[in-house]
Amino acid sequence: MPRFDYVRAHSVAEAVQLLGDPEILSRPLGGGTDVLVFVRHEKPPYDRLVDISRVPEMKIIERHGGEIVVGAAVTYTEAAESPVLQEAAACLVEACLSVGGPAIRNAGTLGGNVANAAACADSLPSLVCLDAVAHLCSRSGERALLVSDLVTGANRTALQRGELITHFTFPVPPAGVRSAFTKLGRRNAQAISRLSMAAAGRLDAQGCVDFVRLSPGAATSQPRRFTEVEAMLLGQEPTDELLAAAGSQTAEVMIGMTGRRWSTEYKEVAIQALAERTLRRALAG
Amino acid sequence: MLIQFTVNKKSVAVEAPADITLLDLLRDYLGLTGAKEGCAVGECGACSVLMDGRLVNSCLVLAPQADGSEILTIEGVHAPDGGLNDLQENFITYGAVQCGICIPGMVLAGEALLLETLTPTRAEIRTALAGNLCRCTGYQQIVDAIEATAQQRRNQ
Ligand SMILES: Cc1cc2nc3c(=O)[nH]c(=O)nc-3n(C[C@H](O)[C@H](O)[C@H](O)COP(=O)(O)OP(=O)(O)OC[C@H]3O[C@@H](n4cnc5c(N)ncnc54)[C@H](O)[C@@H]3O)c2cc1C
Ligand code: FES
Ligand code: FES
Repeated sequence: MPRFDYVRAHSVAEAVQLLGDPEILSRPLGGGTDVLVFVRHEKPPYDRLVDISRVPEMKIIERHGGEIVVGAAVTYTEAAESPVLQEAAACLVEACLSVGGPAIRNAGTLGGNVANAAACADSLPSLVCLDAVAHLCSRSGERALLVSDLVTGANRTALQRGELITHFTFPVPPAGVRSAFTKLGRRNAQAISRLSMAAAGRLDAQGCVDFVRLSPGAATSQPRRFTEVEAMLLGQEPTDELLAAAGSQTAEVMIGMTGRRWSTEYKEVAIQALAERTLRRALAG
Repeated sequence: MLIQFTVNKKSVAVEAPADITLLDLLRDYLGLTGAKEGCAVGECGACSVLMDGRLVNSCLVLAPQADGSEILTIEGVHAPDGGLNDLQENFITYGAVQCGICIPGMVLAGEALLLETLTPTRAEIRTALAGNLCRCTGYQQIVDAIEATAQQRRNQ
């Protein structure tokens, strides 16, 4: 007897019907890079996997006016190869390229990364930095949530039973905004990061910051923009002193949210340097 | 359930449980034992195959996910006469093979890269091999073999 059944969905409508079937407890299957590791060791808490990895509507990467649409079944490789994302979301492209090795990037999807919501999920800081919204669909209808509200903690989300992430949207950043992603990992390719950072920014004609976003990864239980740090940078000239101060402030905000723990001593120094370095890349004139 | 796909250019239809991996399907149902199970959790690359032209870890692909796709395993990599192809020859020439357990995956990772570009830098070759572990060679010779093959194929 197989431990679970498999069915392939060919459209969002079909996936949602299958996922909401009251008779068979079902879960989406994307690239399987988290699911297959999980079911190897644990008893699956569902009776059926609904494969959404080839649903055409969930594979798109498009620009519609001032908005970018990225399907939830887009793989890291597809995202990294997309000219639309290369132009509008360098931080997301860099995050995708930092994931696993090529085989993981060819299978793993953005939707799976967000739904799995590991503390160290690499797409989260960049999606949050871009103010990305996750679009969810179930038999009871559609709703949209900021990614930072969808992920409620490590491996916890506001996804309800039968709900599918169909796609993400985010506003095209204003002209001239650059973004960047940096991650600390023990090994270049396969390390699952313990800290990462996405930043976006722009300087005005006077060389002062007129747009800035900062979103650390794996630093707080819920991913969020560090608006406190953004506020101290806005309108200022990004001198070495200011960027160093922004780094310290980032560490302070993190500690304010998580309290001091065994890992704080390391993380405090690391996040400071990471914020400074990533902001420097985003704000490079 | 019935799983139908193409493996090494041959169509196959296999009756198998829905919850096994593509790696088990290849090894236990099709007798294609070139893909190895090293870690079974995506860390080592010994189970690498190409799925629709892209490198994947077959231990992380659910067998029915392969339905309708084209799979290339190491058994499908060879010269037209059935002998070793140029990349495989170069693995030997450059001393890139020791115990051999990682080699099917390494060759497929190399072929995946060479499908994309025939002008890879050494850094790009290393990135392409980042998910494939070798306990024996120290990688240098494997990179050499792929680099040499790229150069030869460019000149063809
Ligand atoms: C060797 C290895 C290295 C890795 N390295 C990294 C790394 O560097 N960085 C990183 O962030 N992650 C890494 N991962 C984790 C994993 O690859 C990612 O989290 C990946 O994005 C998961 O996507 P998937 O499509 O494979 O998800 P799946 O395994 O298919 O699904 C994961 C979870 O999400 C749910 N799900 C999938 N799609 C949807 C959807 N559209 N809507 C709702 N729920 C959905 C599934 O039901 C399941 O609960 C690694 C994994 C391995 C095995
Ligand atoms: S056996 Fe698949 S990656 Fe190790
Ligand atoms: S040759 Fe032995 S693991 Fe690579």
